Amino acid sequence: MYQIDQPQALAEITSANRVQRQSRRRLTPPMLLIYLILIVGAFLTVVPFLFTFLSSFKTLDEIRQVPPTFLPQNFTTENYETVLNDPDLPLLLFYRNSVIVAVSNVVLVLFTSALFGYIFAKFRFWGKRLLFGYILLQLMIPFQVTMIPAYLILARLNLLNNLLGLIVPSGINAFGIFLMRQYMSVIPDELLDSARVDGASEWRIFFQIAIPQLGPALATLGILIFMFSWNAYLWPLIVLTEQNIRTLPIILTWYTNQHANQLNLSMAASVLVVMPVLLVFLVMQRWIIQGITLTGIKG
Amino acid sequence: MSFAENIFTGRESSKKFFLTTSLTPMIIYLAIFSILPVMWAFLLAFFDYSAQRTGDGLLGLGGANPYIGLQNFQNMLAGESLEAQQFRLSLGNTIVFALLVLPINLLITIPLAVLIESIGTRWKPIFRLIFFLPVVTSSVGVAIMWGYLYHPQNGLFNGLIVMLSNLLTPLGISPPSRQIWLTNPRAEIAGIPLAMLSIIVAYLWQDFGYNTIIFIAALQGIPEHFREAANVDGANGWQIFRHITLPLLRPTILLTSVLTMLSAFQVFDLIQIMTPGGGAQGQTRVLTIDIYENAFRFQRMGWSASVSVALFLLVMLITLIQFRLLRTDWEY
Repeated sequence: MYQIDQPQALAEITSANRVQRQSRRRLTPPMLLIYLILIVGAFLTVVPFLFTFLSSFKTLDEIRQVPPTFLPQNFTTENYETVLNDPDLPLLLFYRNSVIVAVSNVVLVLFTSALFGYIFAKFRFWGKRLLFGYILLQLMIPFQVTMIPAYLILARLNLLNNLLGLIVPSGINAFGIFLMRQYMSVIPDELLDSARVDGASEWRIFFQIAIPQLGPALATLGILIFMFSWNAYLWPLIVLTEQNIRTLPIILTWYTNQHANQLNLSMAASVLVVMPVLLVFLVMQRWIIQGITLTGIKG
Repeated sequence: MSFAENIFTGRESSKKFFLTTSLTPMIIYLAIFSILPVMWAFLLAFFDYSAQRTGDGLLGLGGANPYIGLQNFQNMLAGESLEAQQFRLSLGNTIVFALLVLPINLLITIPLAVLIESIGTRWKPIFRLIFFLPVVTSSVGVAIMWGYLYHPQNGLFNGLIVMLSNLLTPLGISPPSRQIWLTNPRAEIAGIPLAMLSIIVAYLWQDFGYNTIIFIAALQGIPEHFREAANVDGANGWQIFRHITLPLLRPTILLTSVLTMLSAFQVFDLIQIMTPGGGAQGQTRVLTIDIYENAFRFQRMGWSASVSVALFLLVMLITLIQFRLLRTDWEY
């Protein structure tokens, strides 16, 4: 698409120019300035994490010092011991709740996205345009609009204060369907037709031919859905009002409010809740970035 | 009937079976969890509805939850009641928030993406990774970290101000004073509450990595020939950016502007956690907070639904305006 026909000589000039520019990249003062700006920017980005992390190892006396210290003077792991042994804060239970919700969301959304992406890409049926148009329209409707009726529906289905209340309403994801349709449309029809000639049922073709073609796309979508589910705040806040059924973000805000005067404890709790998943997301960042740049999905 | 036709009709019925067994549950599901909520929300907006009162029928509308026509919307525009005033305050705050976030975000992320793209491939992934860290952090984590940075006694910002004044006071320069960043109802800069500005800074910090990676991807999609040709013609870095890169980024700027604006209009987590309910004076009360508080704290769900419809219309309007303003008819 971008190829421009150019004479051989011009190609040589530009490639020579590229070499020259690359060598210039490492030497000039403007380049140093760029690195300096980026390093300062990176430092400013990291400071809030660093300050929180370091403060979780400070004593209560030190954290109340004015002006505050940056590095802990009397390094202690006592905060973590207190948080982990707090009977009001069974962290494992809340981790379990968050994992159940996130994994169920991922499995459900991957299945429905692959299935309906496949159908929209490969089948013709009456009302297809209307249905796909409605799926796209869903993207335009703010969550706050459907939030109140969705709550009333869950109340009638008796799913409030139930983890299912976080799983069932988010079973179909418009972004997921849209993304999967793009990938499915690339699969050659001949591949599906040859399976049909062999007498495979349509459901079997979907599971055994179509789904395996989606590998990386499913991984990308899965990680994004996991991330959004894990970090969700507003909907769990509304649906889960009983303590032991809550997910991690809700319990973390509750805990920090309870310990507003003991910042050392709330920072240790924050580290325990935020950091492990942050590390996982960091390892996965290639796929997350790929997914975001492909779809423009936004949490 | 030939053998081939036989297979064909067999396949057709198999396809029909597949489509029926997959689309029927989907449509039922969409009807219950998507179409019904949207219609219900628009319906609620015309009622004085509270979930605490049992009305008539399955939806509980009518009876103790009477139909009031356009009264909610009239109140929103010109009503004197507390909730009407809070709505207008929230609307104003939402617009201020979004109108500040969008340009500052673009002013940070476009140059940052250009800078990251201009350095060697060795360090590029490391910077991209660091700038992406806040995006993958849960907004609850972000709110707690920044709540701590802004802490009036023990926070980092006031700590820096104390250190600065220890340095400056002996020199006879009057230093900036310590601030109550999030809860001082009187503090404001250029008419915008300090609490609002503080949250905008935290929000920008959380969000800038997102647009940055989108702009990096867009920059990588711009053919190298264009910049090289300009370079051969003697254009300097700024001229190349201004006349080549920026115009070619236009479609991406449109996309990111719409997405940034949409999510700024729907900001909730940071504000609710750092200044619960939008603060005592409602300085940071935005529409999502207004909707949440009315529906789930004060049980005014009909009113709250009408506010959410207003938010919906606003979001649609802004999106359409942005598409008009930034529309391009050419591709490269």
